[in-house]
Amino acid sequence: MSQPLKCSLCEEAATVHLSQVVHGKVTKVHLCEACAQKGGAMDPAVFQLADALTTASPAPTLICPQCGFTDIDFRKRGRLGCPSCWETFGDVLGGLLRKVQHEPSHVGRTPAGASPVGRLRRRLDDARREMEKAITGEDYEVAARLRDEIAVIEQQLATS
Amino acid sequence: MSVEDILAAENELTHLLGAQQAVVLSTRIRLARNLEGLPFPGWAKIPQRKEIADQCVGALEALPKFRRAHVVRMSELGDRDRAVLVERHLVSKELAAGKSGAAVISRDQTCSVMVNEEDHLRIQVVKAGWHLRGTWHIAEQLDDALGGSLKLAFSDRLGFLTACPTNVGTGLRASAMVHLPGLCLAGHMDKVSRALNQDGLAVRGWLGEGTEAAGNVFQISNQQTLGLSEEAILKHLGGWIKNVVEQEWNARRKLAQEEGEKFVDRLSRSLGLLRSARLLTSSEAMNMLSHLRLACDMGCLPEERRHLVDRLMIEGQPAHVQARAGQELDSDGRDRRRAAVVREALKDFPDLVPPSA
Repeated sequence: MSQPLKCSLCEEAATVHLSQVVHGKVTKVHLCEACAQKGGAMDPAVFQLADALTTASPAPTLICPQCGFTDIDFRKRGRLGCPSCWETFGDVLGGLLRKVQHEPSHVGRTPAGASPVGRLRRRLDDARREMEKAITGEDYEVAARLRDEIAVIEQQLATS
Repeated sequence: MSVEDILAAENELTHLLGAQQAVVLSTRIRLARNLEGLPFPGWAKIPQRKEIADQCVGALEALPKFRRAHVVRMSELGDRDRAVLVERHLVSKELAAGKSGAAVISRDQTCSVMVNEEDHLRIQVVKAGWHLRGTWHIAEQLDDALGGSLKLAFSDRLGFLTACPTNVGTGLRASAMVHLPGLCLAGHMDKVSRALNQDGLAVRGWLGEGTEAAGNVFQISNQQTLGLSEEAILKHLGGWIKNVVEQEWNARRKLAQEEGEKFVDRLSRSLGLLRSARLLTSSEAMNMLSHLRLACDMGCLPEERRHLVDRLMIEGQPAHVQARAGQELDSDGRDRRRAAVVREALKDFPDLVPPSA
């Protein structure tokens, strides 16, 4: 977790985050509530924006570069915008998947014509883990079998 | 337009004599798939949804399985025709409610692919009776064929990418439509539902999510799609269905034994009522047809009559009644028409005999 942002004008924690486009450049300002209100008295534009932000829903923190879908949209709809959203919102979705799904990673079919590389890599990870476990448990017969399987998978990955 | 053709055609669920089985009405497999690089239908703009529909429908029409298929676009259908497709489970309520959805339905109506529903593609395969492997095999072949011609959204880590996190991974929803009058009459259905829920299976009514179980018909399906292989999902569902079917038979036998003559009397009354009613509501018809199906399963009526009961369950639904009549009907008009259709269909049904099962 990153440190909470501090107000640009005082040392208080910033709760209002403004992005303004000034001369074609995006400027970000972080303010505590008090400074945002004070600053607003001098600058009506900031005042309106700050006012809106403190009363309306929070600004999105994640936006899918492919389709423009945001984390706020996801909260509203419970559905994603496009296949790329799965990458953009990976961290947000990880917790949800652990709750509603059996395991957070896929173990089923791949599309016809898709390379089996992913599946091999996953099996390699699993086999390595299982081998370590077998060694710890002094089950050398299983460990030897896994060692051979790992060698075969590494060979397949090297040539694919 | 081909909804009339769909209604008129002899098909798997309503006509296939001999394929119907006791307890399990049908087996269904659904796969959710999406195209790479295009927004999901719920977030796509109208031109993008059109592009999705064109790509998907084009790819589907090229497959041998969909030779001479019915291609129906929701924007071209009236309310009644869309409702008919929903009642047949060929499309979902969600697809029927939108304008940019389409469905490609195979001639025998065993395969239907919804385009632009929640996902770009929803492949569905249905078979009368309990045929989990056979149904899965057809879906698998269709999936492979589509994956060969379309670039599907897939990630090594998460599998097939879908609009909703509850479908990601395999995108597989396997289900059985089961008729459980024994468990319902014995008052055990709540207990069974709870046990299924606790082990990752969903229990729904006749028309899926949020519908009531008219006619003691329930849909049982897997809930989880990620972290389990297709094989594991099918095995899990298969094991439970076998268990539920067994419990249903136990409940039926116990009921028949304990109630004796009252058991046959109850089912006979339903036949009598269906044969002479002049006005029949849809839920009334479903509940009494459920008794006739039970009578066929228990040997009180000849087994070969079962397919006719199944057909009436489907064709007694409101949109079907109106489509058959060829006109819009008010509620009384539908009830009158439904009663007439049922009376006609059951007029040469024999009287019930004591159970043999």
